[in-house]
Parts: sequence; C-alpha cells; structure tokens
Amino acid sequence: MEGQENIYHFDAIVVGSGISGGWAAKELTEGGLKTLVLERGRNVEHIKDYTTAAKHPWEFEHGTHLTQEELKERPIQSSHCNATDKHFYVKDSEHPYIQEKPFKWIRGYQVGGRSLTWGRQSYRLSDLDFEANRKDGHGVDWPIRYKDIKEWYDYVEEYVGISGAVNSLAHLPDGVFLPPIPMNAIEKHLEESIGKNYKDRMLINGRVANLTQPKKGRGPCMYRNLCSRGCPFSGYFSSNSTTLVDAFNSGNLTLRENAIVKEVVYDEASKKAQGVKIIDAITKEEITYYAKIIFLNASAIATASILLNSVSDSFPNGLGNSSLQIGHNLMDHVVNEGTYGTYNGLLDKYYVGRSPGTIYIPRFQNLDDKTKSTDFIRGYGIQGKGSRENWETKKTEGFGITLKEQLETPGKWKISLGGRGEVLPNYENRISLDYQNRDQWGLPLVKVHFEYGSNEIAMMEHMTKTSEEMLRKAGFENVGSYRTSPPPGSAVHEMGTVRMGRDPKTSVLNKYNQMHDVRNVFITDGSCMTSSACQNPSLTYMALTARACHYALNQLRSDLL
Amino acid sequence: MNRRKAMVGILAVTGMGIAAFTTKKFFFGNPKVQRGQLRQHLSLITEMIDIIIPPTDTPGAKEAHVQDYILGYMEFCAPNKEYVNFLHGLYEVQDSCNNMYGANFEGCTMEEKNEILKDLDGSYSANDFINKIEVKLRGRSFFTILRSLTIEGYCTSKLGATELLAYQPIPTVYQAEINIQPTQKAWATR
Repeated sequence: MEGQENIYHFDAIVVGSGISGGWAAKELTEGGLKTLVLERGRNVEHIKDYTTAAKHPWEFEHGTHLTQEELKERPIQSSHCNATDKHFYVKDSEHPYIQEKPFKWIRGYQVGGRSLTWGRQSYRLSDLDFEANRKDGHGVDWPIRYKDIKEWYDYVEEYVGISGAVNSLAHLPDGVFLPPIPMNAIEKHLEESIGKNYKDRMLINGRVANLTQPKKGRGPCMYRNLCSRGCPFSGYFSSNSTTLVDAFNSGNLTLRENAIVKEVVYDEASKKAQGVKIIDAITKEEITYYAKIIFLNASAIATASILLNSVSDSFPNGLGNSSLQIGHNLMDHVVNEGTYGTYNGLLDKYYVGRSPGTIYIPRFQNLDDKTKSTDFIRGYGIQGKGSRENWETKKTEGFGITLKEQLETPGKWKISLGGRGEVLPNYENRISLDYQNRDQWGLPLVKVHFEYGSNEIAMMEHMTKTSEEMLRKAGFENVGSYRTSPPPGSAVHEMGTVRMGRDPKTSVLNKYNQMHDVRNVFITDGSCMTSSACQNPSLTYMALTARACHYALNQLRSDLL
Repeated sequence: MNRRKAMVGILAVTGMGIAAFTTKKFFFGNPKVQRGQLRQHLSLITEMIDIIIPPTDTPGAKEAHVQDYILGYMEFCAPNKEYVNFLHGLYEVQDSCNNMYGANFEGCTMEEKNEILKDLDGSYSANDFINKIEVKLRGRSFFTILRSLTIEGYCTSKLGATELLAYQPIPTVYQAEINIQPTQKAWATR
C-alpha cells in the first residue's frame, strides 16, 4: 500500500526538463526533496542518444538538407534545424498550434528540451533592465533588482561554465568567467575599428556556455562547432550533461518522459495545488501525481497554456489567474535581417579549429542622456562572427581545374552581424487556448497572437543601418543585409506570459517566482519575465530558478508551504 | 558558328523555353512531376560533373560519387520547380549534342564536352537582379543546380573534404589567429 502510494507521491514536481527545469531538478533534489520531473517528450540519454554527433559530413545521405517529406512535417521548425539535428526539434505535423499572426514556436520535446540546441549565449541583466518598466511605464515594475539576483548569477555561472572576458560595463555586468574564446584576425580588426570610430560602443568576446577549460569532468570544448547535435565531450552546458546528472546522483530524482501535463490540480480546501494531471503521450492514459510544491518549467507558451487549462471553482480563468494576465505580454527578441560584408586584407591570417562562440556589441542606445535615441526606447545588442569564406560561402566561377583551385584556397574574410533587440511587454501580444481545435491528446490548441509594435520596428531598422555603417567604417566591401526579416519567435526567446510583479492585481508571480494566488506553485521559465531586456535570457532563467528553489526549500523547512 | 547558334537554342530552351512549356503549371500551383526519373540519366550526370570537378592530383567528382549525391538530392530534397528544370536540362543537353555533334554527351569528344559546358556556364544571367527574379519565379536553372550540387556534393564527400580541402573532425583546440602557410588549404567545414 505504502509502496504503491510512493509511485504517485513526491515532495516536488518539476514540469519540464529544459534549461530551467534541469536547474529546478538539481536544486530541489540536492535540497533533499523527492522530486518528479515530468517531460512531455522522449528520453535523450547524454552522449548515447546524440546519434549524429560523431558523423562526418559524408555520412548524411543528403548533406544537411531535409527531404521534401521532412519539410512537409516541419514547415515551421525547418528554418531552425537541418538533417544533422532535426531529431531535437518537433514535427509541426504532430504538434500543431494556431498562428493568428505569423509567430514561430520552435520546440524540442525531449529530455533536456532546447538546452540541447540553444545558442549558449549567456549575459546578465542589469538595473538598466530591471528598472526599465518603471521608468518608461511599459508593463509593470520588476519586483527584483540586480542586487537580488547577483549572487545567483554567480552561483549558476560557476556551475555552468561561461567563457567570457571582463569588460567592466555597468549595463552588462561581468560574471564568473572561464577564459574567453579568443577573437580571430577579422574580429580583432572590427574590434579595433569600432574602438577607434565610436565612443559609445565596444566589441567584446561573446559570453558562451562552452567550456574553455574542463569543469567537473566535463569538457573542455573540442571546437567542432557542432553543438546542436549534442556534445559527446560535454563541452557545452545542457540539462542532460549537467543538472539532470547531478539530480540523478542525489538519489532523489524520478524522471518520467512521455508525460504531457494536462493541468495542475487545485485543492479548494487547502488553497494549494495538490499535484499535476498528465496524459501519457503513448498510451494516452491519464495519471495524477501529487506533491507539496510544483515548479512549472515547460517554457513560456506551454506553461501559460497549462495554467489556462487548469480550471477550478476558485480559478475559472486558469490557475492563479485572478489578474487575468496569464498568457498575455508575450515577448521574444526582435532580430533583424542580418548584415554581412567581406574584407580584402589580412589574407596572411587564418585559424585552426571552429569557434562555437561569437563576438558581441553590447547595447549602446538609451543608456544615459548622451546615448538617447530619438527613434526608439530601450535597446539592442549585436552578435556576430567572422570567418574566411570557403566553398559554402565563396562565389566561384567557371568549372574544371580553375574551379578546383578556387575551392581549394581560403576565401576572403567575411563577417556577419545580427541584432537582438528588446520587445516591449504588451498585453495584446498573447497566447490563448482554442477549445474548438484539439491535438491528438484532446488538449486545446495554443493560439498565438503576436505583432511587433512601432518601437520594435524602429529598432529593427536601426540595427541594420548601424551594422552596415560599422562594417563600412571598418573597410568592409560588399556590405549588405538580407532583405526578409525573420518572423517573430525566430529568436526562440519567447517569454513574459506569467509575469513577476509587485501587485497581485497586475502580475502572477511574486519576487520569488511564487504564484501570488497559489503559494506552492513556482514558475521560473521564460514566462516569468517582466520585461525582455535584449540579452539572451537563459542565464537569467537559471539564476531565477536556483533562487526560487532555495526560497521554496527554506519555506518548506519552516512549514510555510 | 553553327555550334554557337545551336547552343543559343539550348539556352533559349533551358531558360525561356521551359518556362513556356511549364508556364501553366508554374502559375497554377505546384507542378506535379513524377519523381524517380533521374536514375536513367546517371551516366550523363556523371560525365558532366567530372568535367565540372575533374580528377587532377586530387580525385574528381565522379570518383567521389557526387553523381549519387546529386541523384539523392534531386529525387528527395529538391523542390518540384528544380526537379523539372533539372530533368528538362538533361534532355536538352542530349538533344543539342545530337543536333550538333551527332552523338549524345557521353559520346562526344572531351573538347566538345568542354565547349558545351562552357556555353551552359555562360548561360546564367550576368545581371544579378534579373537572375534573382528568374530564380524566384522558376527555380534555379539547370546548370546552376548542377554546378552548385557538384561543389556541395564534392566538398562534403570524404575524398573532397579530406584531399582537396582540409578536414579536422575534432580540432581539440582553437587557435584564433595563425599565420597562413603557402600550402594552406581551405577548411572543409565552418
């Protein structure tokens, strides 16, 4: 009897095993809680299930191309994956959603989620970001400031392993860094040129979760730059290679894959969540698991949809939704078309190895009165990468021996730049549930309604213009930008749908990511973000998760949950 | 002179002619075309790619089995427009060879083959803008497809990547800046 009960009863449930769910699993299990991690997709065992990681280019039947049939199954995901990593992306045909306006929802339903395929860019937010909403009146005020999260950034960076350089920028705080991935000749050239031509900005080494030194038996990076296939050397940070391993080693982890969460079950008597009802993805059987606390880490859109589908007498509009903010204020980062240029020089320089990193031009607009933009509020940063052209990028002519000679020799230097800009919180940008249209498990389809406002569009135009200008000033030729801008969602940074705030009337979570309305439910994925800033957000999710877990553990110990 | 004229004929056919032939299909939804037709043209494809990337002190496209790569790509990955263009291109090359030289491509002398490829190569518009519109409307032209797939298939083949180019599966270190050696080959992967 007791044994049977244990199958369904835990101290904590974590929904999702991606970058933030992995952290919740690690912190809660190491804190002594018997923890159930629910993952809607299949299991992906570290290394063993990285089926393409060791393949040579010639071992893929059609190179990196997807077949027409595979494209048909992935009309949305196919812009973000190819034949080498498609197994870490969903088939859209199996997991439909409704786009009221074009919005890419890029997903990886598997243990580890999108932590397997993420871009690994890791930047701290600063008070410029935490104070932005209060200062310009968009959205609601963040309930935290940099001082509240700083030690948690330290804590997760120390564990993750972020390579980066100390740059002493107030609005992009330095962290606990491994040595940076160095810049190559063209990147240094652009760094120098920007330093010379601009007073308001600098080019820095990208801060990435790739190990330039070994850490706790992981890594170092082997510089193959094939991260999205999964790394057999554990050279970059993913849940599979780190947090889930430690959670497992604690002896307190139960991981259940193929578990699609239908709803969080609310108990009217205790005014707390009792547990989580799942549907087995394969057998379609419904099962309820019970726990004292619940962490939702399903990603911004999925977490909001679970809450909206968790209807009870007390919460007819979705669990913890007395503010009616759940699903609203959806944000991504606005990305521009991408700018490129070639450089006719430094031809005596090359490199060995393939950098998984980037260069970064941190935000340089609206930092103070001197950098105030007349076109938009808030700001953007620019990521880039330089390399010498090879057969993939080089423009060649003719055929025969002359063609072979052109292919054989390293081409010109080329740099590509792409902006990542802040999206303002806007109540109208939202997800909702469509009960008329259901998926194969009978769950209502997610409907996304998202549109850039004039601020985002002005920013997008500005990033293209300034990128081109910086390259021209650095002597690049053939400077141009791609003409079609990617649809919203393309940055794969969706966030904001279950925001933190000070006031339960206008926000869903308090300063510890705890639901205002339901105190034993915590939400620490991207949905908690009160504003989007322009930095790649995963590092902040991780820091907030670790912080919320420690708060929850303390509350549990004091019997307050 | 005659040859020139005939080739201009090919160009017209490969360019505008195909469009006329398939215009209706292009403008009224996806052209339906039966896949699986390319294997019978394998010897022609093989002969052509081995002129595009010939054997020298390093292997040619044929030895690297690029013909199989092209076949696989065209049958399974190519959009319909490209498949149609490619298939018609193959037919027209043979037609022109027969008209001009009285033999199909495989039966032509090396000089004749080279001449034919030279003319095909010159066929894509020098005007980037017109080119882009054309591609958008009709898909890439026959020779553009053949040439770029030959390069791609060759440079990702084991022989191409390891013999013509420099391939390092596991670099282990990143040296961001080295002085280039005169013998330095381009990296096969980025």
